[in-house]
Amino acid sequence: MAFALQSLWDVLVLLGVVLAVAPWFGRYVGKVYLERPVAGDSLLLPLERAVYRLLGTSPRRPMRAGEYMVAVLFVNGGTFAFLFLFFLLQHALPLDPTGAPGMPWDLAFHSAASFTTNTDFTHFVNESQLSLGSAMIAWQLALFLSAATGLSVAAAMIRGFVRKDGRLGNFYVDLTRSITRILLPVAVLGALVFVALGVPETLVAAVRAHPLTGGTQTIYLGPVASFQAISLLGTNGGGYYTANAASPLANPSSASLLLGTFLMLLVPFSTPFAFGTMVRRRAEAWPFVAVIVLIVAIAVGLFVAYQAAANPLLGGIPGLGPSTNGYPVGQETRWSLPETAFFQVVSVYNNVGANSMQIGAISPIAQLVLLFGMFTQATPGGDGTGFAMLLVFTVLAIYVGGLMVGRTPEYLGKKIGTSQVRWAALALILHPALILVPFSIAVVGGWVSVGGASIGVTAHTFSSVLYEFASESANNGSALSSNAFNDTTPYFNVVGGLVMLLGRFVPIYVMLRVGGYFAGEATLPQGPGTLNTATGTFAVYLALFVVVVTALVFLPVMALGPLAQIVGVG
Amino acid sequence: MSAPRGPPAPLGPPTEPAVPTEHRLRTHARAAGIFLVLALLLSGVVYPLAVSAVAELLVPGSAGGSLLRCPNGTVVGSVDIAQNLSAGTLGPSLFWARPSLTDYNTTLGAAVPPGPSDPALGRLLNETIDYMRLYGNLSVNATVPFWYAAPSASSVDPDLVPEAVLVQVPRVAQENNLSVAEVLALVNAHISSPPLPYLGESFVNVLELDMALLSLVGKC
Repeated sequence: MAFALQSLWDVLVLLGVVLAVAPWFGRYVGKVYLERPVAGDSLLLPLERAVYRLLGTSPRRPMRAGEYMVAVLFVNGGTFAFLFLFFLLQHALPLDPTGAPGMPWDLAFHSAASFTTNTDFTHFVNESQLSLGSAMIAWQLALFLSAATGLSVAAAMIRGFVRKDGRLGNFYVDLTRSITRILLPVAVLGALVFVALGVPETLVAAVRAHPLTGGTQTIYLGPVASFQAISLLGTNGGGYYTANAASPLANPSSASLLLGTFLMLLVPFSTPFAFGTMVRRRAEAWPFVAVIVLIVAIAVGLFVAYQAAANPLLGGIPGLGPSTNGYPVGQETRWSLPETAFFQVVSVYNNVGANSMQIGAISPIAQLVLLFGMFTQATPGGDGTGFAMLLVFTVLAIYVGGLMVGRTPEYLGKKIGTSQVRWAALALILHPALILVPFSIAVVGGWVSVGGASIGVTAHTFSSVLYEFASESANNGSALSSNAFNDTTPYFNVVGGLVMLLGRFVPIYVMLRVGGYFAGEATLPQGPGTLNTATGTFAVYLALFVVVVTALVFLPVMALGPLAQIVGVG
Repeated sequence: MSAPRGPPAPLGPPTEPAVPTEHRLRTHARAAGIFLVLALLLSGVVYPLAVSAVAELLVPGSAGGSLLRCPNGTVVGSVDIAQNLSAGTLGPSLFWARPSLTDYNTTLGAAVPPGPSDPALGRLLNETIDYMRLYGNLSVNATVPFWYAAPSASSVDPDLVPEAVLVQVPRVAQENNLSVAEVLALVNAHISSPPLPYLGESFVNVLELDMALLSLVGKC
């Protein structure tokens, strides 16, 4: 098996386009959060001021970390409660033309937690278990708000490096501007292009068709284009259809696939440049961009190489022809291997979680590549929170590096104290704890079942359960294999929901706390002892730090799941 | 209105301002509630309706799910959704789509194919190849293209690689009393080549091909 090397060109062009647009878009994003004049002010500023007046808040009343967190919890708690009730009662609410029943409480809990936390992990079949209203009204609200929350938190944390009054900004102002200036305009443009490429956008929920050979077939429609645009741009990743981005209606061509990849890449690749603008040192963006591009490029390379290889276990099937475009099981015909692989890797590394293929069917090494992206959750990670997590890594890396070379650990003129390091370490330890503890309980406690009967755990099941909790803790949302075990049991719904909530809001608290400590410090003058962070050396050091720390934590469990499967496949 | 900003905080952990906690919580609850109502209107109503309206103006007809109709107006399906084309009395005379783990039932969503090390994968592929040999009238030595036998990601992949269409040409020609050359010409007219080299793959949309075939023999 193989693939045409020439088919790499559109992927490389797309990456080039993103890297060309990101500095410009990042500066724009930075100005949005600095509240400097940007295009659209004449139209949007009066609107935003009206919103602030309604809310009884003001951009001139910046919040400290604690109050910012309280505001985050109120908005997100409200979203969660609204979604939970909507899903529970969707059969009794308007816009249920296809007759989707109300969700059981545990499934409604899991779904509400999943969408509020930017995870968008689904334990249901969209077509039969979700009403049009649930998707368009409830879920779509969370698509916007969770992405806007992540961006706001990142902006607040970044302000810690420049402010000296201990305050991080006003959450309601950040949230409003994230939507009006960044998410909504790009989503509208993206949705219109999706429609032009053939993606449905209608209030008709379903059409009954009469296939050529008899019987009936339901064609599920809806406002798919607008949903997909914000889902990908906001690094949510929920699909309008169960097949997610592999659905031919949601993603009909190579052009729509590449547009989706662009939307996923845009904000995470621009955030380092927004950071550079906000801290008034544009050169500081490049080490982060270098780390992100390096790690994503290696991941895509490995993924393509192993998906291009033949599955040795299928050698003995008589009459099965070869493939010239990668491994066809769980793949769609219309895309080349590099295109669909780039979408898939970007989706997982950006913590989007949309699937252009069935990742339960792919090579174990390709699965391992995806798992690694969720373990770091910062290369580049989801909108806002991914970059904030990379800043947490950076704080630790500088602290460790400073100790090794005997320099005072400081970043951008702010001293890294023990308080920041203590909180940063908590964020780092929380992730493996949230994955491994519920995972071990599930495996050892016999909670892994198929069709109601608890099953013995093979390497594939092991990988699938591990992937489930890794995806939930990283707020990713992709699932490895829904047929390896039954994930709609109360255990996986309730524990999974809690993992997503903790994996979202504890790191957000850490990011705000760390930013708050920095914001309370005076800026030190640059001296001969200052570590220069805008260098290639620092980028390499940071990349190695992220990879080594992640590998140290997760290597044992990777050995038991995907690596064991690799040995089994040969 | 001047900014009510406090003096710079001293080094160390910031301290909260001396406003009663209960009062602040009530303020936040009210602000968050109003914000959610506004955001709900924007994201759930204004955004999708505005996109639909503008889309209808700029690209009319594109947003309806790409439905295919027979001349008599019956909706046959969507060009983007595969259907079971090997069933019924018409089945043997049509080109078939890739196999579906959900039997082309869109209400079931999409199913995950067996993993690469799962013995079920080999069984599934063997069964599919046997079915194509037996009912698809393939010779014993014929090779079934991997992309034709393998289950897809969406369970309703509407497209086939050109080789998978070509293996079906002898059967389709025979069942429709057409010459192989006639059917080949039809197939060649339906191969979608990438608009730019290697922007996606060459493929054939099976439902469109079958509709063209049926209008050729006057059955749709």
